[in-house]
Amino acid sequence: MSLADRLPAGIGDRLPEDDGDRALLLGGFAVALALVLAATPVAVALPGELFVFFEVGTMFVIYGILVLGLDLQYGHTGLVNFGHVVFFAVGGYTVAMLSAQNPFVGIGLGYPWLVALVAGVLVAALLGAIVGATSLRLRDDFLAVATLATAEIFHSVFVNFREVFGGNTGILGVPTPLADLAGDTDTTMLATLLFIGGVTAFTFAVVTRLTDSPYGRVLRAIRADELVTRSVGKSTFTYKMQSFVYGAALAGLAGGLFALYNGTVAPGYFTIQVTVTIWIGMLLGGASNHRAVLAGLAVIMGLRLLSRFALDVAPVSADAFASIRLIVVGMILVAVIRYRPAGIWGDPKELGVDS
Amino acid sequence: MSLLDVNGLVKEFGGLRAIDELSVSVERGELVGVMGPNGAGKSTFFNCVSGVITPDGGRVTFDGDDVTGDPPEELARAGMVRTFQNTRELETMTVRDNVRLAGPDQPGERTLPALARTDSMQTHEREVRERADHLIEAFELDHLADEYSSNLSGGQRKLLELARVLMLDPDLLLLDEPFAGVNPTLTKEIAERIRGLNDEGMTVVVIEHELETLTELVDRLVVLQQGSLLVEGEPEAVLSDERVIDAYLGE
Amino acid sequence: MGLAQNIVFGLVTGSYIAIAAIGFTLIYGIVNMINFAYGEYVTVGALVGVLAAGALPLPLPVAALVAMVGGGIASLVLARAFFTPINHTGPVPMLLTSIGLGLALRNAIRLTAGQGSRYFDTETTTFRFDGLPDLSVGSVDLLGGVFVTSEHLIVIGSAVAVFVILHALLTRTDVGIAMRAMGDDEDLARVRGIDTQMIRDSVWVLAGVLAGLAGVLIGIQTSVSSTTGFSHILQILSAAILGGAGSPYGAIAGSYVIGLVVALSVAFLPTGMTGLSTAMAFLILIVVLLVKPSGIAGQEVREA
Repeated sequence: MSLADRLPAGIGDRLPEDDGDRALLLGGFAVALALVLAATPVAVALPGELFVFFEVGTMFVIYGILVLGLDLQYGHTGLVNFGHVVFFAVGGYTVAMLSAQNPFVGIGLGYPWLVALVAGVLVAALLGAIVGATSLRLRDDFLAVATLATAEIFHSVFVNFREVFGGNTGILGVPTPLADLAGDTDTTMLATLLFIGGVTAFTFAVVTRLTDSPYGRVLRAIRADELVTRSVGKSTFTYKMQSFVYGAALAGLAGGLFALYNGTVAPGYFTIQVTVTIWIGMLLGGASNHRAVLAGLAVIMGLRLLSRFALDVAPVSADAFASIRLIVVGMILVAVIRYRPAGIWGDPKELGVDS
Repeated sequence: MSLLDVNGLVKEFGGLRAIDELSVSVERGELVGVMGPNGAGKSTFFNCVSGVITPDGGRVTFDGDDVTGDPPEELARAGMVRTFQNTRELETMTVRDNVRLAGPDQPGERTLPALARTDSMQTHEREVRERADHLIEAFELDHLADEYSSNLSGGQRKLLELARVLMLDPDLLLLDEPFAGVNPTLTKEIAERIRGLNDEGMTVVVIEHELETLTELVDRLVVLQQGSLLVEGEPEAVLSDERVIDAYLGE
Repeated sequence: MGLAQNIVFGLVTGSYIAIAAIGFTLIYGIVNMINFAYGEYVTVGALVGVLAAGALPLPLPVAALVAMVGGGIASLVLARAFFTPINHTGPVPMLLTSIGLGLALRNAIRLTAGQGSRYFDTETTTFRFDGLPDLSVGSVDLLGGVFVTSEHLIVIGSAVAVFVILHALLTRTDVGIAMRAMGDDEDLARVRGIDTQMIRDSVWVLAGVLAGLAGVLIGIQTSVSSTTGFSHILQILSAAILGGAGSPYGAIAGSYVIGLVVALSVAFLPTGMTGLSTAMAFLILIVVLLVKPSGIAGQEVREA
């Protein structure tokens, strides 16, 4: 149930402050703080043990943008996109190739990073439109296969066209504007986490507004029964396309931010593993609930953090440990679908599953 | 000019003709019943007319426009709305949202007004909500308004489906077996509502398998057999027609 | 290397893909799920086979039989533990479950069997046919010398044997006929008194047996590691969909198309881009889904 429904009918001209508006405020605050930290001579010193928290935290907020986009597609509209990583990758590569100064191998055009970022979002959206126009009429499970295959094709292209995409090395020399502004490593880390976290909060605000509105009602109706939705006059294909393209554009944004934070992109950052991680986060938290999918993602990323510490004390090699972690991740996905199909915080009735 | 004019409609499934050169027209303001034994092609006829499936031949004209093969969403916006034989609810949505969804011309169903929460969207949404609540109350579903529609009984689902399509204020309402699986009391109630809508000027076409309910309700009966028109005319005349008696006895 | 040689390679690849794709498509047709963990069944079969042949040691045909039995048992046990309990939930939850299960299995295999590659110790006899003249068009040689190894012949021969036995199974035995009936209409099959759970179990076993054999054949042809099956799953899936998901005969045809395309793209792609050859299989898959979603023979996978 959307928040607006819990209000008495006909209250005020403006809907009062809700989750989305609070996220907007929080995001603005975080971004402002990040810029102040980076641009002024203020420097922070972080204890070395906390580095790993900042690293995983930054990946969490980047993946947070991904999971919010995926939830718009799957949780709200019912589109089974199992190639979400491809839009993340395309955003990252577009930004990297347009902005990199000395890419080592592959293309680097050295354009301003902001231009590159905008282009990254647009290219990811365009790819979303192409995949959507061709695949959205497929049945759910075949849509999953088609999107997954698309992601694999792109992965293979990135690896094989070395002169263009830099092969397994990827594109080096991508500008890192926040790091340049901040100077030292510690300040950069904090500012980056705050800045991208702020963007994630903005994303949360935008998708919340969209899904709380009559627009979101149409999306959920499509998930429930597309034919009924059409029979009451809604052009469902247009909505499915929009939902798919918006999710893709958000993934492109996340990819672009990743490139500008990481300073390099390579195929290894964009494997099917990313898709699996955000799917598990979404399902574990509870699809179609923005807060829940972020919380679910936090649990999975928390596991990653935990495993980093456990590795230090575990009597196995790093390699064996990575395998164990992936076994656990796989079994979590299996267990969630079987025992909590609506996730930890999801509503079984809203998702139409037995609990 | 007829509101709905179906001419020479043909639909085949794997070589079998489900609809065979069927021609039927419905005048504005009429209340028409479509009946026939199982497999006569009643639902296929509705599916072709409402754009759910594309006919293989023939023409469908609605309000003077050729709408053959137009998708259901366009027909709904043009004023032709249908219900489904096995009620189809949006089970993962509340009764309220089921009805609200159908509100037409909502600017808040487009991205930018939804993001900007424009005044026109909010005003429109208030109207939609009032109208939906009014319909929910009229169909005595108000005590269930916040329930997920998966919790509703068969009869309540039929009522909800009616409330939902009425949000669109259609010119032509196509009802596919609105009395199927409904108890006698509710059957009477639904029949009265259909009568009432027709009295207010809405053109209604009702598919029904059972004879009794229809004969009392409609102005005119159309009987299909094996995808073709068997007989049409005043209910009493049709019911005493030899061919109709044979068709039903032969079942 | 000439085109003719690549056609031989394509037939070999198509053969082992076909054996696996039949199993994959039977699961799709009867259990109504895309089983993404199926590649791991292939890996299990390959590992069991290579261990039986190397460690015990057993002669190759016996090791292959052991692998098939192992694959069948593994498939049934995994189905009973993971898929049968959620049979009612629909295709998407089952697909997601298989993705999770595949991830876990792959890493469990990696953990226990290690990352290295193992090889079947087979004696290879090579038959050369050098009589064919070269027929060059640009940089591509349309004929050229051809060689066929005894391993090639084993793979292709096994595939042909599988097709014959499978055809007999599906048309002559009660279980096979029941499988086909269930693939067409499960409710009708149940009404007719078919024990649908028993048939489903039979399909799981059969699919596992086929995966085991495919694993051994892939192992003979290349090598065995924890990703042997996973690196082939998208080709298997492409072949099954290309042939029309659910149709075993379609899967055979689809597999040879995929095998030949992969082999020929190696021949035609410039050096350094041969890694794209597997991407070609997915490209075909997407094109098929777009142009003729029902595949060569099979059912509609587009929404009404």
